Amino acid sequence: MSSTAMKKKVLLMGKSGSGKTSMRSIIFANYIARDTRRLGATIDVEHSHVRFLGNLVLNLWDCGGQDTFMENYFTSQRDNIFRNVEVLIYVFDVESRELEKDMHYYQSCLEAILQNSPDAKVFCLVHKMDLVQEDQRDLIFKEREEDLKRLSRPLACICFRTSIWDETLYKAWSSIVYQLIPNVQQLESNLRNFAQIIEADEVLLFERATFLVISHYQCREQRDAHRFEKISNIIKQFKLSCSKLAASFQSMEVRNSNFAAFIDVFTSNTYVMVIMSDPSIPSAATLINIRNARKHFEKLERVDGPKHSLHMRMR
Amino acid sequence: MDDEWKPLLASERAGESYPDRGVMDSLDPKSKRPFHVEPRNIVEDDVPERVSAEASVMSSRVHYYSRLTGSSDRLLVPPDHVIPAPEEIYVYSPLGTAFKVQGGDGSAKNPSIVTIFAIWNTMMGTAILSIPWSIKQAGFTLGIIILISMGLLTLYCCYRVLKSPKSIQYTDTSDWEFPDVCRYYFGAFGQWSSLLFSMVSLIGAMVVYWVLMSNFLFNTGRFIYNYVHNVSMSDSEFGTNGTDRVLCPFPGTDQGSNCSVTVIFLNTNTTGPTVFDRWWSKTNTVPFYLVILLLPLLNFRSASFFARFTFLGTISVVYLIFLVTLKSIRLGFHLEFHWFESTKYFVPEFRVFFPQMTGVLTLAFFIHNCIITLLKSNKHQANNVRDLSVAYLLVGLTYLYVGVLIFASFPSPPLSKDCIEPNFLDNFPSSDVMVFVARTFLLFQMTTVYPLLGYLVRVQMMGQIFGRHYPSFFHVFTLNIFIVGSGVLMAKFYPNIGSIIRFSGALCGLALVFVFPSLIHMISQRRRKELRWPSALFHSFLILLGVANLVGQFFM
Repeated sequence: MSSTAMKKKVLLMGKSGSGKTSMRSIIFANYIARDTRRLGATIDVEHSHVRFLGNLVLNLWDCGGQDTFMENYFTSQRDNIFRNVEVLIYVFDVESRELEKDMHYYQSCLEAILQNSPDAKVFCLVHKMDLVQEDQRDLIFKEREEDLKRLSRPLACICFRTSIWDETLYKAWSSIVYQLIPNVQQLESNLRNFAQIIEADEVLLFERATFLVISHYQCREQRDAHRFEKISNIIKQFKLSCSKLAASFQSMEVRNSNFAAFIDVFTSNTYVMVIMSDPSIPSAATLINIRNARKHFEKLERVDGPKHSLHMRMR
Repeated sequence: MDDEWKPLLASERAGESYPDRGVMDSLDPKSKRPFHVEPRNIVEDDVPERVSAEASVMSSRVHYYSRLTGSSDRLLVPPDHVIPAPEEIYVYSPLGTAFKVQGGDGSAKNPSIVTIFAIWNTMMGTAILSIPWSIKQAGFTLGIIILISMGLLTLYCCYRVLKSPKSIQYTDTSDWEFPDVCRYYFGAFGQWSSLLFSMVSLIGAMVVYWVLMSNFLFNTGRFIYNYVHNVSMSDSEFGTNGTDRVLCPFPGTDQGSNCSVTVIFLNTNTTGPTVFDRWWSKTNTVPFYLVILLLPLLNFRSASFFARFTFLGTISVVYLIFLVTLKSIRLGFHLEFHWFESTKYFVPEFRVFFPQMTGVLTLAFFIHNCIITLLKSNKHQANNVRDLSVAYLLVGLTYLYVGVLIFASFPSPPLSKDCIEPNFLDNFPSSDVMVFVARTFLLFQMTTVYPLLGYLVRVQMMGQIFGRHYPSFFHVFTLNIFIVGSGVLMAKFYPNIGSIIRFSGALCGLALVFVFPSLIHMISQRRRKELRWPSALFHSFLILLGVANLVGQFFM
């Protein structure tokens, strides 16, 4: 597949100290081995090992530090950095005192994108919103969103407000992932059929690296609105523990007298979680169903041919 | 037994009724289920509280984030504003119920009355002894006007100090004190200058304390010696006669009077300075005796022992009020109003020396470096401004009461009002029993507050310069030698507490009362684009007043 020749990138950019490394660590369950604040700007090399949605590679760049070394390196490597970009995620620190400068750096990144990867999708995250008083958050976010949308023309940017201390970060990244999947509606209708056939209470589709929810079906109202993030956190913790033993997580079954939950590898980029509230259905039956559905969904991924697979799309 | 035929890894047969199962063997998957108890309140019949969805997801977040960094890394530790309030924290018991944590988060919350009293107690310092003298320096009417105005002015500046952390957006300022706010607005300069001026007020207070302690110790010793040896001092001191003697220790030093009073000690019965007088002298020897008592106390690592004695200060002030009331009843009022000219016995109502009073009052009403901390423990934070104003009112009334009564009851026909001493207890002989009691109370109180002040100076200085509160015995001892040495020098060569108080008051008041609060308020208003002409004019005027206050100390 041609995707292996030129890896498409997801650029995570923003000013130094805006929270990108923490964000990456939380979303991708990367252990941060040091206090990144003390060591200054993050210089992430292209050979990042964080894979996302199959073949997308996550690159982290600090944009706009005072460091002249950073500036020079940035300008000389600019074309290299901005080539083959699928997604640009730009992080703004809401409590930054230098709004003009932030916007200036953002615009120069956009220029580089226009030159090198004009088809890239642009997302802006207004981060650290927990530091703003609750009654002012909507107002401040609306202001920033208007400014950013105006500055981004002719590119269209989608803005989210995020904080690592509430559900907004998870939801923002889930929305981003949702928009990166080309045939997501088709996926959702197939998922619904699958769930109804196997008589499941709820079926979730997770992205493999980050356990962000791509799509879900539920047959009735659930009590806990935050269950997706909780499952994601629990499984990522479990993955961290597994990786310490050089083991990798593949599947899980949780059962009690009220329900049975199955988490298993689904397609090459996704995990599935099936929740059955009828305990009389034996596990083996559900596992067979999941295995058969797997084949069908993998075909869906390849249905438009090699050029239109789940993770690559050329418009 | 059919158990032998069970495969090693039996896949579970769901739907079986579990009580039908016989003996549970160790391979039975059901016995490997995690320990789970349905939440049930075994004490009462109330429906047990369940944790909310938000709290549960926050808990999962905190657990997950803590796995992402090293245990000593503070990067992903939840900040204070994200952790729920203590009222929303639940404790899970192993039996499954959740109950709320009762009580506060460790910092005691006091009702308004206690807060007001704490502020009053902290503000009441040795300046109360100088209020009658300062009223005399400014003139009676002008003095009262100045006392009320300075009280209102310093109250407004204190209000500004209190509100200054709130104007900082985007940052959690819940544990900031005023020097932290100065550092935020003015950088390192703000931090160091606010520390410096705070030191001025503290070290100034410690020097005043040393002078006063030497004074009180001297008088106490003198009283005991005279009582034991039945010596009467009445003839060698110039003053009134009778049971309620009032002294004029330095007659003839009044300013601006035309007549000079010659004092001739005509008593030939008394011998020259006795042995006792040589070894027990207010300026020559007693300050050094204090070193033996107090220098060791300053070197203690912790001052919490001395903090227990704050009640002594309250008792001293209450006793002073009682003493003043009694004396003024006995002496009666002696007031004559001469508006601008001074007479032999009275001072004019309006005098040019009023900056001395403003200097003293700046220190008398000074609490700006710790008001934020004091009001943090107020139970109803919405009442902070009201409680602060009430405290200032009570402090002002106390000062007014003591100052006016002493001034008014000072026996003016034989003595001139100019004789009122910067420490009004000096106007009473050492043989006066009630004043002796007052001096003893104050001596005790100051002996316990002095190490506390020394501890504050040490913590702030050592903390800022060396990063640790107790770098080594040598460092701390050097600092203490310096502080004690300055106290001893002042007590020996210039024991005029009025001057010490007014200079240190005007100096530290310049920064912490007048300039920084007003400047910070104007800057924050300008950042929010809310600065209007009246506000800018008024606050600039306040800054000018602070500067004029300091300059006036040197010229008047």
